[in-house]
Amino acid sequence: MTRAAGEPVRAGSGRLELDPDRVGRDLVCLVLTVVELLRQLMERQALHRCDQGDVTDEQMEKIGTTLILLDERMDELCAQHGLTRDELNLDLGPLGTLLER
Amino acid sequence: MTQTVGEPGPRTGSRTGAACTATYVFAVCRGGDPATLTGLPGQAAGNPVRLLPFGSLEAVVQDVSAAEFGEETLRERLTDRAELERCARAHHAVIAAVAGSAPTLPLPLATLYLGDERARAALREDERRFLAVLQRIAGRVEWGVKVYARREAPEGPDRSATVAPTRTLTRTATRTATRTAARTPVRTTAGSAAAGAGAVDSGAHSGRAYLERVRGARQERERRQQAGLVAAETVDRALRGVAVASRRLRTHDTTLTGERGVQLLNAAYLVADGHEREVAAAVAEVRADPACQGVEVEVTGPWVPYSFVDGGE
Repeated sequence: MTRAAGEPVRAGSGRLELDPDRVGRDLVCLVLTVVELLRQLMERQALHRCDQGDVTDEQMEKIGTTLILLDERMDELCAQHGLTRDELNLDLGPLGTLLER
Repeated sequence: MTQTVGEPGPRTGSRTGAACTATYVFAVCRGGDPATLTGLPGQAAGNPVRLLPFGSLEAVVQDVSAAEFGEETLRERLTDRAELERCARAHHAVIAAVAGSAPTLPLPLATLYLGDERARAALREDERRFLAVLQRIAGRVEWGVKVYARREAPEGPDRSATVAPTRTLTRTATRTATRTAARTPVRTTAGSAAAGAGAVDSGAHSGRAYLERVRGARQERERRQQAGLVAAETVDRALRGVAVASRRLRTHDTTLTGERGVQLLNAAYLVADGHEREVAAAVAEVRADPACQGVEVEVTGPWVPYSFVDGGE
């Protein structure tokens, strides 16, 4: 990256985008990606616990309800920042993507 | 991709004078016909693309401005997608033209030397490797095969059954529906009651129902991924059957594949020249294969064997 800071660049050209608004949005996107990753891990963990059978029906109901709320909250957060869930992801090269698609 | 071959000493860019030229090498060939090169713009329209003999081979070269192709400038230019495309197309046009008349070994984009003498000296050192590669690719062409998961993956009929009429649908279900539902005030019990008899039931076990849907979605995704892998392997196996050599390349990110689904396979096959029909038959066969119904198979070629010049298999 030999580009001088502050130099304007065209969007979508594959170059670094240094427009302040855009950087803010990208940061939000990154933060939400991490939150979404944690949410998915929690879901996975919850399913795992349920499969092990050491969770009562009541607890299962509670876990499920919490996850519903989390899922809704994610939708709200994404909507607030004009993002879609599909945009929340990171390309890890040969490893694939951070989040499942 | 950018390969600036030169001495570790003074940088190309720091050399004085805009008149200073560098030698851009497109390819190495054996017995190339200079007539095929006339009129090609190459990387610097105006300067002729010519053959530079070294040892028993020839390099396909062009004089370019050293300032324009200096290390820094070049890196800058090649980070611009439009410019990169232009350079790559120019590079390919020359290679394709030469390959029509002689066995041709394409060199990486932006292979540069500080003048003909440097180019000749450096290329001569690699002559044995070039000869070996030329022998391997002579009379053979490259076919590119990409496999994409179909965007609208056929959802199992059981899917609609597992998605209870609650407002929260799973991630794989239509997201737009979720969002519309979130905005509309169906949160009230009256609303869910109005949604139908099923809502009463799912209202009592909504948490568990959600977990079940997540599980269903996970299983569905795993099934799809598995099917995708099987399909990619099936395609690869079929094409390896008609190929002399094959290479699996890194799959492209979805931002590059655009409207298409996830890329499952990006492979190159070295096939004897004139075997188009065999390739087409192999592709037709996998397209008809039940294992490959969820994927799209894209074939390009014949290409100059770009993917088989590094020694490889």
